[in-house]
Amino acid sequence: MIEIEHLTRRYGSTVVVDDVSLRVEEGAIAVVVGTSGAGKSTLLRMINRLVEPSAGRVLIDGQDTRTVPEDELRHRIGYVIQGYGLFPHRTVAENIATVPRLLGWGSKRIAARVNELLDLFQLDPAEFARKFPHQLSGGQQQRVGVARALAARPALLLMDEPFGALDAVIRAKAQEDLLAIQRRLGTTIVLVTHDMNEAFQLGDRIAVMDQARLLQYATPTELLTRPAEDFVERLVGTVERPFRLLSLTGVQAALEPGGAEGEPIALSDNLQNALSQLVWSGRESLPVADPNGVIVGRISVGGILAHGRPPA
Amino acid sequence: MRPLRSGLPLDPLGSVIAILIGVALLAAPFVTYRANRIVSGEGRMLAEALPVLVAAAVFAVAFGAGLAAALIRNPLARLAAALVGLAAIFPAVGLSAVFLTPSGNSFARISPSVGFWLLTLSFALLAADSLTRLRLGPWARLAALATAFGAVALLLLSGAWDGLSILKEYATRSDSFWREARQHLFLALGSLAAACLVGLPLGMLCHRVRALRAGILQALNVIQTIPSIALFGLLMVPLGTLAAASPLAAGLGIRGIGAAPALLALFLYSLLPIVANTVLGLNQVPAVVVDAARGMGLSARQRLVQIEIPLSLPIILAGIRIVLVQNLGLATVAALIGGGGFGTFVFQGIGQSAIDLVLLGAIPTVALSFAAAIILDAATELAKGSA
Repeated sequence: MIEIEHLTRRYGSTVVVDDVSLRVEEGAIAVVVGTSGAGKSTLLRMINRLVEPSAGRVLIDGQDTRTVPEDELRHRIGYVIQGYGLFPHRTVAENIATVPRLLGWGSKRIAARVNELLDLFQLDPAEFARKFPHQLSGGQQQRVGVARALAARPALLLMDEPFGALDAVIRAKAQEDLLAIQRRLGTTIVLVTHDMNEAFQLGDRIAVMDQARLLQYATPTELLTRPAEDFVERLVGTVERPFRLLSLTGVQAALEPGGAEGEPIALSDNLQNALSQLVWSGRESLPVADPNGVIVGRISVGGILAHGRPPA
Repeated sequence: MRPLRSGLPLDPLGSVIAILIGVALLAAPFVTYRANRIVSGEGRMLAEALPVLVAAAVFAVAFGAGLAAALIRNPLARLAAALVGLAAIFPAVGLSAVFLTPSGNSFARISPSVGFWLLTLSFALLAADSLTRLRLGPWARLAALATAFGAVALLLLSGAWDGLSILKEYATRSDSFWREARQHLFLALGSLAAACLVGLPLGMLCHRVRALRAGILQALNVIQTIPSIALFGLLMVPLGTLAAASPLAAGLGIRGIGAAPALLALFLYSLLPIVANTVLGLNQVPAVVVDAARGMGLSARQRLVQIEIPLSLPIILAGIRIVLVQNLGLATVAALIGGGGFGTFVFQGIGQSAIDLVLLGAIPTVALSFAAAIILDAATELAKGSA
């Protein structure tokens, strides 16, 4: 768990981060969004003390980060940035081994960990371990960057625009993969982005920043239904709002008894995808199937739309 | 490569080389004959300089190599032509010295002339061009360099050139030649080592402390613009005063003239390329790489040693290459203030108008600079390969 308490950073008379407090639960993903220059990156970089706070403090699992030597602190926190900063003179395996080597792990243990991570990120160790970063595609570099950050099993991962350099198709896949790996490892993540879609897709909670201040820190649904300020409402997008809400709601919520004609929708899917299938197939309702393929009910356009507006 | 060209497929550089060879064979004297070491000489064409059959053979080989340069595109065949050409004219010039020297005459001097030098230049160009086209790796280039030096050493040791004027100059000075050679290397390498010891940390400091950068680089720039003879002269006064005032300095061999001001001047000239390239090298390390390294908990020292230095090494080595080649040349000027080195022969030769003695100092200097450039280029490439 991370507790950020009254964190402030000033450069001369300019306040870059102004009295920000928030708490990220163990195993959760907190996404910090905002326009550029809002202070998102500075907030993130104060967590691993790449930027020293002017005031306030950060507690990780109750421990004040100022009581830990900064290099030691950073060994325990994964760090991924836009462009990744892979070491161009080192192989993929050597890049991933960076922190374990700093921690003095034995070479066998390091090699085993590197192979494990390459497998986890769907990079064949036999093919990729000895490659240099410039021999990789953008998506592969991104995966190596995240694998490197996770090498020493940090409980916390900081990510600053980690998908910013990827094209749309690869980005969507990379986001899905990150979610899957995060759910599996239970890593706590603080991620900075200016992409609202990314925030809604990844965030358990979203922190909205503007002009150095934290405007609202809430779940995605709350952000849509109860925006704290006009700026938040504008940032989440009044046009996309209903669809974002639907994408956050599972099919289960609008499940009705009975059957329907057509290609079944998965119970694990969300209402936005269900609506889009209904629109595309020109039907009023479609059957819903559980993971075993058993039809458990149906879903209708009217039932879905009821979930696309704030509760009265 | 250019399949659609009509007519003879002439190679442009090869054609120039062929013309040079033609001029060298038909219009330029192969060697110069002088009655003694300081009178002006008279040229001897290839046909006069060698026994008829040998002259005809050398002519045929050189002519053939010229044709090959113009017509053949395969780089290996071109390299072979160049090497055969060199293998013909190098022993031939030694033989011509024996052939032209009247028996029992120890005053007559035979030296290579325009024709020989043009042929050497042509074949060397052809060899260098074909080596470039072969795209040799750094190790192969080093091997080629070692082979070339080995071949010349073999020729020298075999005595095939003993009749040539420059080796007659060497024969009367073999002791001082090697002493000056050691001194020359000491001046060039010693000043380089000192400049690395001071310049690398200074460059790192300039990189870290932005405020220092402009001032230090400006000061070094000013030093660089002082002509070398003037700098040697300027240093004589303070060093002489220092030696007179401090017995310790004098005991260390510091004097107004001699090796001390030469070493100091070369050191000062070396600082700018080393400091500037260190700053440049460190600056071009991508900021995102350094940020990632910091974020993963590499200490300042670990970042410098593991990331910043390896990534700037090719550029730092390029600076060291500039300095080494520059110092090997500049060290000749040290002789003017009694600093020794190959310049000793150059200036003695100028004083006596004995051109062979000038060459005895100049040729080793050029060979050393040439070798240093190739070795450091290869090292830079190896550093790039691993970076």
